[in-house]
Amino acid sequence: MGTTTSRRVTPGRAWAGVLLAACLGHTLVTYAAAGDSDRIAALEHKLDQSLQLIRQLSARVHDLEAQVAQAPPAAAKPTSPGAAAAAPATAAAAPPGTPAATQPGAAAATAPDTAQRLARVEQTVTEMAASAGQHAEDLGMPMHGFADVGVGNHNAEFHQYQGADVGELDFFLTPRLGSRTRALFELNFEVGSDGAVGVDLERAQIGYQFSDSATVWLGRFHTPYGYYNTAFHHGQQIATSLRRPRFIEFEDHGGIMPAHTVGAWLTGSQRVGDDKVTYDVFIGNSQRIQGGILDMNNAGNTHGSTIVGGNLGMLMSGALDGLKVGVDVFQTRILDEDAPSPAPATRVRSYGVYAAYDTDAWEDIAEFHVFDNDDLTGHTGTHRSDAGFVQMGYRAGRYTPYARYERGAFQQSDHFFAAQINGESYYRTALGLRFDVDLVSSLKLELADTHLTDRVTGSYDEALLQYAIRF
Amino acid sequence: MLTTSAKLLLAAVLCTGCAAASAADLTVICNARVPLTAGDVRDLFLGEKQFAGAVKLVPVDNSSAQSVFLEKILKMNAAKYSTTWTKKSFRDGINPPLVTGSDAEALAYVRRTPGACSYVTIPTPPDVAVVARL
Repeated sequence: MGTTTSRRVTPGRAWAGVLLAACLGHTLVTYAAAGDSDRIAALEHKLDQSLQLIRQLSARVHDLEAQVAQAPPAAAKPTSPGAAAAAPATAAAAPPGTPAATQPGAAAATAPDTAQRLARVEQTVTEMAASAGQHAEDLGMPMHGFADVGVGNHNAEFHQYQGADVGELDFFLTPRLGSRTRALFELNFEVGSDGAVGVDLERAQIGYQFSDSATVWLGRFHTPYGYYNTAFHHGQQIATSLRRPRFIEFEDHGGIMPAHTVGAWLTGSQRVGDDKVTYDVFIGNSQRIQGGILDMNNAGNTHGSTIVGGNLGMLMSGALDGLKVGVDVFQTRILDEDAPSPAPATRVRSYGVYAAYDTDAWEDIAEFHVFDNDDLTGHTGTHRSDAGFVQMGYRAGRYTPYARYERGAFQQSDHFFAAQINGESYYRTALGLRFDVDLVSSLKLELADTHLTDRVTGSYDEALLQYAIRF
Repeated sequence: MLTTSAKLLLAAVLCTGCAAASAADLTVICNARVPLTAGDVRDLFLGEKQFAGAVKLVPVDNSSAQSVFLEKILKMNAAKYSTTWTKKSFRDGINPPLVTGSDAEALAYVRRTPGACSYVTIPTPPDVAVVARL
């Protein structure tokens, strides 16, 4: 008997257990997504309430309008001041849309009085709708960001490592300030060459916008040379490729160009017919070499030298819609603070030309830079080097295959390159595939072959996978 | 020969089609004091135009009509619109348009906010400047 009972109960308990587990699983999943969902749900609830109230008030307006239309002319005049005052008081005491609010006695209200009430109700509707539409503005300071992780037979940035790696976690803030004051702050957590996580204030710029054609920024910003440095920078999820070209990597990741400048930057654009001209002019602290890498002298430098430069571009229209071409130049004076005093100084001049073709289907980018450097203390004369890359990508739905070729030919007799850890000449070919998992995340696979051609001679092949998101 | 139910079904389909066509009509509106032209609308909603004279522009998306607006004016889908704004924010430090949920909200916001512009399915909304009709 007891055994029979047990047989009957066990399946029931099992189903209850399954249901409980399912509910628990659902709860956990829901809880995991609750971070943003709660806030969004609260806003949606508030919005729904506002919309419901708007509907009620709209219905009330409709009723009142119907009353005005149906009221006989004699009723348009107040029968007595007391009656005129009592009618709206009665209606006002009842919730909108209730019978009390629309009772026939209310129809005795005078036309001017009804008009006033209509105006008040309309004003309330407008205010409610306006406050509902204000939600997005009330969210506070917008914060966005990027993050990526990866795995490969080499680290994408520091090829001496292999296995899984953390790329970076990047936050950028764009507070809503006055109509012309703008600000942008970018905080980056990234893994350095020593494998430790470091924090860097990548951008800290405060600006004033005079017009669509002119905004001046002060602070630390992306040096506006070429196309890639300002177009993608830390946002790997919005970049088609898995990593930046080697020679325009970030300073602390081996880049040999000053990716950041601390100073002032005037930028803007102007339509010329259907085309658009863009420009950048900047001046800031000249950089230095410290520990074999470029440093942008966040606190200022001790000798008053500057980096000055500019970028002039044109966005095409019509048959060439999506094409941007441009030229850029900068000059700076770089001290090598790793060398014995007096620190060797190099005047670095860079001339660049670039083109980018960005359409629904294609993303093609090409940049080429020439360096015309002058040794100011070592008396080795002038040195000419160059670097460039070509990248082509084709967007086929969620897949974007891409290919890139890049090379840097850097004179090792030029102290500017010789003093930098990654100032060696190289060339690299890469084939990659980007897959958009959804709107905000992407998987990238890249196969690359890198050849080092002067300081040390050698090559290495890479197979890299990256998962990048934006939020 | 159509049966009665088939006729009713056909009529319902035609009515639905008419309603959908009617709902697709869009009016781009701005606060009454905004001097903007139809040719500026695309630049406005992509962050390329932020001022009209001395007036700071405030584009406002209307989610109830956004898909039609994106298709007809910006010629892009919601995913590309989002990505475009992510890139724009990251590069230029400006924020994407605020979002309202209905014609009434968009209209109310535009009426009371200097420089505000949005789009609604109401053909001739009062107290605002009509910039373009589609």
